[in-house]
Amino acid sequence: MKVDLLQMVEAGGCSAKISPRQLEEFLKYLPLPEDPDILVGIDTHDDAGVYRVSDELALVFTTDFFPPVCSDPYEFGQIAAANSISDVYSMGGTPVIALNIMMFPSSRLPLDACAEILKGGADIATEAGVRIIGGHTIDDFPPKYGLAVVGYIHPEKIITNSGAKPGDLLILTKPAGTGVILAGLRLNMASDGDAELAKMYMKTLNRSGAEVMKKFSIKGATDITGYGLAGHALKMAKASNVSVEINLSRIPLIGDTYRLVDEGCIPGASFRNLEFVENDSHLTMDLNYNLKMIAMDAQTSGGLLMCVPPEVSENVLSELHKAGLSRSVVIGRVTEKREKYLYLEN
Amino acid sequence: MNIVDTSGQQCPAPLIATKRALRETPADESIRVITDNRTSFNNICRFLKDNNTEFSSEESNGIWTLTISKKTSEPANADTSEYCTNDIPHFSQGDFIIAFPSDKMGEGDAELGHLLMNNFIKAIRDLDILPRKMVFYNKGVILGTEDSPVIDHLREIEKMGVSMLLCATCAKYYSIEEKIKIGTLSNMFEIARVMSTAGNIVRP
Repeated sequence: MKVDLLQMVEAGGCSAKISPRQLEEFLKYLPLPEDPDILVGIDTHDDAGVYRVSDELALVFTTDFFPPVCSDPYEFGQIAAANSISDVYSMGGTPVIALNIMMFPSSRLPLDACAEILKGGADIATEAGVRIIGGHTIDDFPPKYGLAVVGYIHPEKIITNSGAKPGDLLILTKPAGTGVILAGLRLNMASDGDAELAKMYMKTLNRSGAEVMKKFSIKGATDITGYGLAGHALKMAKASNVSVEINLSRIPLIGDTYRLVDEGCIPGASFRNLEFVENDSHLTMDLNYNLKMIAMDAQTSGGLLMCVPPEVSENVLSELHKAGLSRSVVIGRVTEKREKYLYLEN
Repeated sequence: MNIVDTSGQQCPAPLIATKRALRETPADESIRVITDNRTSFNNICRFLKDNNTEFSSEESNGIWTLTISKKTSEPANADTSEYCTNDIPHFSQGDFIIAFPSDKMGEGDAELGHLLMNNFIKAIRDLDILPRKMVFYNKGVILGTEDSPVIDHLREIEKMGVSMLLCATCAKYYSIEEKIKIGTLSNMFEIARVMSTAGNIVRP
C-alpha cells in the first residue's frame, strides 16, 4: 500500500502552528520561572531555551513537531527532524541528543509508515551528529512527528533574537515559499520540480549557516518557521528593541512561488501571520500585495535570518555561498527603534 | 452573474477560485462566491479589502455567500497587468542555467558578437522564467567586471535572485580578479556540479 500522508491534513508543517496572537495571549498567564541560570527563557519568544550548567557549558533545549508536509513518510521524517534541530543551530549551539515525539494513527495507516517516518528522522539526526536516545508514541490522527533536541553551547556565545543591533544587515540563508509550494502541491498547482526543490531546502540542516555565524561572532539571529519571515523578523525586532526594514523584492524565492501567490495560492497561515504583524508594521502604500503575502508565508525548516555588521557582510555572504547556501542574500537592515518595529518595502 | 461554488473546498482553494473569477469575469458582471469554510471566508474578505474590492456577504447555516461587484474596481486585473509592466521582479525560476563561455554571442564579427551579448543579457531580465543560475567561464568572466557594459543588468538579475558563479581560474588568467563585481568566484568542481545537475543549459 502506497501511503500518501499529504491527503490527511489541511495545514501541514509549521503552517499548523497555533496563531501567534493566540499564543501570546495565553502565554502571558504562565508564570515565568526565576532562576539566574536561565539564560534564554520564554519571555523573548526565542527559538529555544538556554540553561547554564557551568561557566563553560549551557544546554540549548527545544522541541517542534507537526503534521505531514509531504506524501512520503520517510521524507516527512527527514523534514520534521531538520526543522526540530534547526532551533539549536539558530542559537549557535551544537545539537547532541534528541527524543522522538510521534503521534500515529495505528488503525488507519500501516505501521511500516511509522517506521519510515522514524527512519527519516534518524538519518537526519545522524547527519547532524545527534543521538536519538528515546521517545514517546501516541495513537492519534492525523500523524505528527518531531524531536525534542538538546544541544551544547558556551554561555557567553549564545546567538539570540535579542542580539540585533542598529546598522546590522539582515542575511537570509534559504529561499522562501515552502508554505505556498506545499499548498500548491496539495491542489496540483505546483510543479514536481518545485516540490522537489522545496523538500530539498526543508531537509537542509542549518548547520553550515550556524558555523558561519560562529566564525564571524554573530550575536543576533533567528530561524524562519511558522510565523513567516515577517513574523520572525518582528519577534526579533521586539526582543532587541530595534526596528527592522525588509526589502521584499530581495527575498529569494523557491521556483514558482510568486506565480502561485499571484493565482491566489495563499495558505491560511499567511492571513494569521498578517494579523499578528500588521499593528506593529509599516507597509508602504505601493507595497506589492503578492510580495507582502510571501513575507507572511509560514516556512517549514526555513533558513536563518542573521544580523550581520556591514563591515563583514561581504565575507559572511561569500562563506555562506561557499558552504552551499548559494541563495543567501541581504534582504534588509536593522535601525534604531522607530515608530513601528517592522518596515516592509517593495 | 458568475457563480463560484467552493463548497467542500479547503484553504486556499476558495481564494484561488475567487481570484480566477475576478480575472475572468467581464467588468460589468458581478460575482457570487459560496464557501462553507469559515477560515476561507475570512481570508477572502481580507483579500478583497486589501485589494479595495467592494463586496457584501451573508451567512446562513454555515454557508457564506459573498457578492463581489466588479463595476467599481478591478484590482485583480489591475494588479496582474501592473506586475507585468513595472519593474517588480517576477522571481519565478526554472530548472535551467545559462552558461557564458565567452563575452560575445555566437561566432562571426566581434563587434556584432558584443552587441548581441548585451541585448541577450538585457533580455534575460524580462524573461517570464529566470534561470536558476548563471555560470561564467573563459572570456565569459569579463562580462562580470566593473567596466563591462552589461554590469548593471547583471547586478539587477542577481538582485532578482539568480546566483552567479564565475570561474576563479579564468579571472586569474585574465588578471581581472579585483574587477569582478558580481556573483562568487568558484572552482571547476562547483561549476561542473551546477552544470551537471541543471535540467537544461542555455548557451548564448
